[in-house]
Amino acid sequence: MKPIVRKVLQSSLARSLTTPLSVDHYLGLIDSKLSINEPRGRIADVQRQTPDSVTLTIAPNDNWITPRPGQHILFGIDLDGVRHRRCFSIASAARDDRVEITVKRNGDGVVSNFLVDHAKAGQLVYLSHPEGDFYPNVEPPAKALLLSAGSGITPVMSILRSWIDDDRLPDVVFMHYASTDEDMIYTDELEALAKEHDALTLIIRYTQEHGRIDGDTLDREVPELGERMTWLCGPSGFMDAAESLLDARTTKPIFREQFESSRREAAQGEGEVHFIKSDVAASGDEGSLLEVAENAGLNPPYGCRMGICHSCKCRVSEGTVRDLRSNEVREIRDTDIQICIHAAAGDVALEI
Amino acid sequence: MGRPTHLSDADVEQFGAELDALRDEVMKSLGKDDARYIYRVLNTQRFSEVAGRALLFAGILPPAWLAGTALLSLSKILENMEIGHNAMHGQWDWMQDPALDSATYDWDNTCPGREWKHSHNYMHHTYTNIVGMDRDVGYSILRMSEDQKWNPAFLFQPFYVLALAAFFQWGVALHDLEWERVGKDKSYAEALSQGRDIWRKVRRQVLKDYVLFPVLAGPMAPFVFSGNLVANFNRNVWSFLIIFCGHFTEEAEMFRIEETENETQGEWYLRQLLASSNVNGSVPFHVLTGHLGYQIEHHLFPDMPSNRYREIGPKIQAIAERYNLNYNTGPFSKQLGGVAKRILRMALPHRRKRKGPMPSSIHHERPAAKTQAQRRTRTNGSAATAAAH
Repeated sequence: MKPIVRKVLQSSLARSLTTPLSVDHYLGLIDSKLSINEPRGRIADVQRQTPDSVTLTIAPNDNWITPRPGQHILFGIDLDGVRHRRCFSIASAARDDRVEITVKRNGDGVVSNFLVDHAKAGQLVYLSHPEGDFYPNVEPPAKALLLSAGSGITPVMSILRSWIDDDRLPDVVFMHYASTDEDMIYTDELEALAKEHDALTLIIRYTQEHGRIDGDTLDREVPELGERMTWLCGPSGFMDAAESLLDARTTKPIFREQFESSRREAAQGEGEVHFIKSDVAASGDEGSLLEVAENAGLNPPYGCRMGICHSCKCRVSEGTVRDLRSNEVREIRDTDIQICIHAAAGDVALEI
Repeated sequence: MGRPTHLSDADVEQFGAELDALRDEVMKSLGKDDARYIYRVLNTQRFSEVAGRALLFAGILPPAWLAGTALLSLSKILENMEIGHNAMHGQWDWMQDPALDSATYDWDNTCPGREWKHSHNYMHHTYTNIVGMDRDVGYSILRMSEDQKWNPAFLFQPFYVLALAAFFQWGVALHDLEWERVGKDKSYAEALSQGRDIWRKVRRQVLKDYVLFPVLAGPMAPFVFSGNLVANFNRNVWSFLIIFCGHFTEEAEMFRIEETENETQGEWYLRQLLASSNVNGSVPFHVLTGHLGYQIEHHLFPDMPSNRYREIGPKIQAIAERYNLNYNTGPFSKQLGGVAKRILRMALPHRRKRKGPMPSSIHHERPAAKTQAQRRTRTNGSAATAAAH
């Protein structure tokens, strides 16, 4: 979109002419990717690096904001008439004008399984502005460790690519745990980069062969570990283990990105949930408050369903809720909470 | 009137269970075909609006003015009836598309979406045709039931009903002010704040149709202005006709408050069936009415996507026949004739004799909304959700 056209379409005159709808609703007649403020895109390229994953390159529209390395987006796609939204880490370099994400098959995950099996170029996808603080505003350190497991490789990949893109690659050890070499993604690219850049040391461990992360391996494989700033991403068990190992070996900062649902256990609640605006009451025994609402026939908006995107935020007039990530129980009043990661811990009155 | 005597409590419960099952079956099967349908309607509406407004800019040529006005009328009718009304009922919330979200959708009408969701989704759909509770019974200016007290002003209702038709969106906009309650059980402050919301919406609507588009058209301003005026008029009259055919036909039943106290889910379904009337027609006709030609189906399941009413209509009719209940349907002319007859008959003081005492007070004694709604959680739960957002 030309800047002048954009300016006109964003003007209050355009808003007044399209009220109560918005300019976007009419732009959709031309191309659903067009919008005056929403980041959207189309899948430009699809690579299947392993049988259980897919790497998508997305061409975003003009509303895409350059992310910081290691950030994530709320990715949306329409499947069977329903807009599903999930969080994915950006794997591409921050300044790349294409957005790359890699998605792994995940149990009965509707979105991930669809993408792995059926994603194809041209599909319309909904994006969000990039979010996340995995890579705070720090100068690249002199020495770094990028430590990941499983699909946790994607945000550290973005950090590595961004450093190389900006020509500011520090002395970096890239250490990744995959379960087998069949599951390892980005192998070719990483090997090529390691060959090209002396500053990059690549260590790939297969847990089925070499076992899980342990102190001996770290001490043996990662030189000058105590001087390295660490970026750590992977399943919660891996991160917890890695973090305590690192804590004993370094005083440099460790940055964590936890993108797997951090719900500790099956969501069990207690008490009665009252959806005030709908005048519906339901038992809060089973599931998060979002699931309780859905089971009661309501359709509150939601997004990632794992406490990241805040799409499901809604107001509790009063009640006792349990945070499913920390198991902390709080008594609250007139407070907004994310209903996907809270369960009832007593009677709850929700403004839905 | 009221509950038919030939059905036992168990019959009514069974009747309700059958409708619940039908509802579950449809709601579970929603998917991409429904999404494709509503997106096609959205595109048609937007395209006809853009094309209509563009043609009106050449409105000095009579064919362009006529075509432009027709397309703009079509767009306004589709937007109000098939898109806006239904989206605000939460019919498309399952799609999780913000453009169709009942919590945020606002329609191309002088009535603010929020007001509408209260007066229509909540009050009218919950208390349908209960005289004294459903303010859509005569919109507190017309007499549509013998249970409404007659006064001489009603002699003129055949005339001012025509004015209501022409300015229907304005009537709808002012409706939820509930002026007859103001100063009694509704405070002036509340009415004033509602009034301000309405004014904000009205200002935007008027600015768009009667100032900005005409001014942009420069010398063509009069043609654009008149085209917009006529399109709004067409939409007003069309929606008035369809809506009046939904509840005020000859056979549509009215209820008294006492008859509906402690209603069960089955009884609530029963009242919705008896209080509503359908209009037969072709598929395009139904799309243009927002599927309110299936008023019965809509009142049974207000948050079911409208395109499905066509599918369940025959099934509902079969259920009604099995329980020996009146499934009130007929051609447009018949239903409209019934409405006209009712308007004329009710203009006169004549009252049919009926058993039981008359309700002495009309506006007080609302049954506790909470307990009523809790009982019928699934039927109008989401209607009320929409209402409250």
